[in-house]
Formats: sequence, C-alpha cells, structure tokens
Amino acid sequence: MNAIVVENLVKRYGGFTAVEGVSFTAAAGQVTALLGPNGAGKTTTIEILEGFGAPTTGTVRVLGTDPRARGTAGRAWRSRIGLVLQSTRLDGQLTVTEALTLYGSLYPDPRRVSEVLEVIDMATDAGTRISALSGGQRRRADLGIAIIGQPQMLFLDEPTTGLDPEARRRLWSVIENLIAGGTTVLLTTHYLDEAQHLASRVIVLDDGKVVADASPEGLRAMGGVPVIRYRLPATAPSLPARLAEHVDRGELSLPSADVTADLSLLARWARQNEVDLTGLEVGSPSLEDAYLALTSKKEKEGALTHG
Amino acid sequence: MAEVAIGLRSTGPRSTGPQSTAPQSTAPQSAAPRLPGPVRVTAGQVRYQLTLLMRTPRALLAGLLLPGALLALQLGKVQHLGSHAATEALLAARVSGLIVLGTMSIAYLTHASGLVTAREQGVLRRWRATPLPSWGYFAGRIIATVLVAEAAGLILLLVGVAMAGLHLTAGAIIGLLIAGTLGALALAAAGTAITPLITSAQGANPLLTLTYIPLIIFSGGFGGVSGLPSWLNTVMSYLPAQPMIDAATRALAGTGGGVHLMTGHDLAVLAGWAVGGLLVSMRFFQWDPHRAAHARHLAAGTEARSA
Repeated sequence: MNAIVVENLVKRYGGFTAVEGVSFTAAAGQVTALLGPNGAGKTTTIEILEGFGAPTTGTVRVLGTDPRARGTAGRAWRSRIGLVLQSTRLDGQLTVTEALTLYGSLYPDPRRVSEVLEVIDMATDAGTRISALSGGQRRRADLGIAIIGQPQMLFLDEPTTGLDPEARRRLWSVIENLIAGGTTVLLTTHYLDEAQHLASRVIVLDDGKVVADASPEGLRAMGGVPVIRYRLPATAPSLPARLAEHVDRGELSLPSADVTADLSLLARWARQNEVDLTGLEVGSPSLEDAYLALTSKKEKEGALTHG
Repeated sequence: MAEVAIGLRSTGPRSTGPQSTAPQSTAPQSAAPRLPGPVRVTAGQVRYQLTLLMRTPRALLAGLLLPGALLALQLGKVQHLGSHAATEALLAARVSGLIVLGTMSIAYLTHASGLVTAREQGVLRRWRATPLPSWGYFAGRIIATVLVAEAAGLILLLVGVAMAGLHLTAGAIIGLLIAGTLGALALAAAGTAITPLITSAQGANPLLTLTYIPLIIFSGGFGGVSGLPSWLNTVMSYLPAQPMIDAATRALAGTGGGVHLMTGHDLAVLAGWAVGGLLVSMRFFQWDPHRAAHARHLAAGTEARSA
C-alpha cells in the first residue's frame, strides 16, 4: 500500500520550471527521505504534497486524497497527517501544554497531552512558555503538535536544521520512537547522515527531476567505484603523487577502479617509510560520495532507478 | 531521553528500519471519530486569542490609554456648559467618539497589524497545517477582538460616569452594546480584509495608521469637525467610524429610558462593512508569509532569466 503517489508532477512559476515530471511512490509504514541541493525542487514538491501548493500538471495523492481537498474532506485529510514545517513559529505566549491542548482539540481522536510530552521528552518543560524554549526544544514542541492528532502520515521538513549535535540526536531518538510505532514519514534533510540513520528509502531530486530512487545502501552502491580510506598519521611522509591528490584534511579518500593495484602502491609506501596502516578501510562510497556524484551536473547521466 | 514509543495510527506494515518494541496503536481503526464541531472549534479559538491578548495586553492598553487621556482632558470643558441638556448631549458625543477611537485602535489597528505579524512569523502557516477551518481562525480572532474592544469601551464609559456624571440607562447600555459589537465587527472585518495589501510586519503600523487617523478625525472621534466639504461628509458616512459614532451617541444621548437603536443607514453601512470585509477576507486572505512568496517569485525570475 502506498501512502504517497506522485505521477508526472510539474510545477512552473511563470517561465521557470521548478519541478519537471517527477514521479515516485512512498510505501506506508516506511521512512522515505527526499534529498536534493537547494533549488532541486524539493521544497516545491513537499509543499504540494502538504497541500500548500497546486501542481501545474500531474497527479498527487497522499493517503489516497488530493492534498488540495477543501471543506470537510480537506479537514478530514489534514486530521490524518502531521507536519513539521521548515519555517513556522508557534505563539510564544502559550506554554507547551497549552499549545498541545489547543492543537489537540482540533483532531477527532487526539493523543493525551501527557503522553506526547513524554514522547517529545518535554514533561519537565510542560509549563514553560514557548518563547522561553531553546531552538531544539521548540522543534520538539513543534513535533509534539505534529503528532498530537495521531497522524498516519508525518511530513518532517528539515526537522533538525539549525540544531546542535546533541539536540539533533535527541530529536532523532524521538523520530525513531514514532517510526517504531508504524508511522509513515516523508523526511527532507540536508544531512545525509540523518537520511542514512532514519530512512529506509532515499529519493534524490536535482534540477526538478528524480535522479535516484533507492535504499541508502543501494544509493551508496550507485556512487561508483570502491573507496580506499585511510587517516594519515601526523608525521607521515608525502604519499606518491597518484595517492596524494586524493588527500583532504589529513585523510586519504581514493575512489579506486583497481583496488589491488592502489593498495599495493599504498602498502609499498607504508613499508618503505615504516608507517602503520591501522585504520585502513576499503568500502563502498559513502552516501555523501554517492549523493555528490548524483547531483554533480558534469557526472549526471539522466535519471537512475535502483531497487 | 524518553524511551516511550507513541502508538500512532499506522497506514501499514513497516518493512525496514528500527524494530518496534512499542505497543501498536490502540486507537479505534474502524469507526472514525468525528471532527470537532463549529461551536467547539470557535470556543477553543476564542479562548486561545483571549489568552494571547491578555498575555500581551498591547491591544487593551492601546484602546484605553489615548482615549482615556483625551476623555480626562475633555471632561473639564464639558462640565462648564450652561444647560443640562447641552452638557449631556456634548458629553455623550465626546464619550462616544472616544469609545470609537479605542474600538478602532483595537479592532482595526492592533487586530490587523497582529494578523500581519502572525502571518510573517509563520504562525498562520502552522495553523494551516492542521484541520482548523479558515472560518474557525477568523471567528476566534474576530470574536476575541470584539470582546476586548467592548471591555475597553466599558471602562471608558465608566470613566465618563464616574468623572463627569454621565447619565446611563439600561436602554443606553443595550444601544451601546449593539453599536459597539457591530462597529467592532465591521472594523475587524475591514482590518482583516486589508492585510493582503500589507507586505511586512514593519510596514503594518504606518500603513494602518495612515488610514486610521484621517478616518477617526474626519468622522468626529475627537469632537465635531466643522467646515468639512459635503462630499467628505458623505464619504465618511459610508465608512465604519462615523456610523458607529452616530449610533453610540444616539444610544447614550437618547432620552426617555428606551433603547435608541441606530438608524437604518448606520446599520446598513456597518453590516455592509462586516459582511463585505469577511467575504473579501475569505477570498483573498494570505496565510503564507509574504517574504516566502516574494523570494520564490524572485528566484523563479532569476532562474528564468539565466536559463
């Protein structure tokens, strides 16, 4: 069963085409990450899925409903989804509990406020006004409002942007709890480790088109040849020129079409210079390597599809 | 970190990702609970808006400070008039004008600038992401505004009674209540309708003041204005302030103890502004921050030119 179905979605603003023929589905109960550089059409696509924008052409269905539905049908649909938007604000004068109670009153079967407070780890901040919360706490309060109505589908639009690493990890933990409960999630993020950590499927947009649709592992495999990685000791002598050009900030990251030959070269240099190769890794490209390869215009060769 | 997994309504089985150890949804799956009805939605929104207005008492203060100060200054002059009837009539006109000044400040100026600020901060977009119907938001906001305007009017009225011995009958109170409610509704509707023309929170007050000050002066809010061209008087009679002042004066200055209702013309003008303002608002009101739409169109234009 698909929670999201997008077919040939096109969105134009005047003469500019923001999204050009995008098609994908997102299975119910999964976390699907929508990735792409700025201007890739990611925000336009998600705004249409959330019902904030209308497609120029194409079909969009979320939980079997057109997100542009109005009236009672639109309200019923909105009661089944939850949104953490990229740039919204809650009224700072309300306390966390007041905000959750108020928003919860709009849903047919809201979750208990105390339960949501526990899930978002804000039981001790329940009586605090939103204006007094930190950025990470506000994001979690926003997430609490998104889940108060027990949504079947949750949109998380860059939920951890601007948060410090600890706040990000705490929010990830909250999201993992939601995922464990079986919620379908569409996640957009600029953090590839976030997509790797949370998503079971990754869709990459670039220039308004889908350039990859795969699992994180599948996407890594699409990134090209294996990579030899090795953190150089601080006192290591210069590497051979063939290897040295792939050193960045003290780390060798060498895409290798001939792993045996490149490893031999590295091993010979290590033996000659008595350098310890502990920590040497040979593996698939990272998600970041794959993502950069896919979204780099010079390497782009059209849409890829991978299971 | 809370290790509680929330039992959300699931759209289907989860195929990959963290394994759930949490209880699945306990929410009823078959008989869908109904969305909250209009009374519950409106009551919740009125309570919410009143909470905001009370915690940031800018609206109430704005509607009290200037009219209150002017009332105190003018009471001395009024008391020195010779005839009792003339004193009562002038006093009624002064108090009515200043009540309308306060009402305009609350229901038009503060209400509209508050809406623009909420829109630009993304508060309105957050509401659009919920099942709250647009009429529910308008109703809550406008009813709360009318109630605060009436509270401010009541305080000014009591000042008039206490300091100048303004004669108050039950009929006058009923007449004032009707005029105040309909007038505040008309002003709030007009204020809501004008917000799409205001593109930033910073620009709200100057623009609104530009319409508010001439309107209240030429309508007689600070006392009668003589020597106005007849066309201007005619124009003012079709704008909300003058009919409201007329209706309030009529209610306060009426003799005989009965209810002195507003004239048919005043009723029609105020009702027209209320209904017209609400209809225009329902059609043209903007929920999204203007800067977001502007940035999108700007980006689209830039991309189109560079393409």
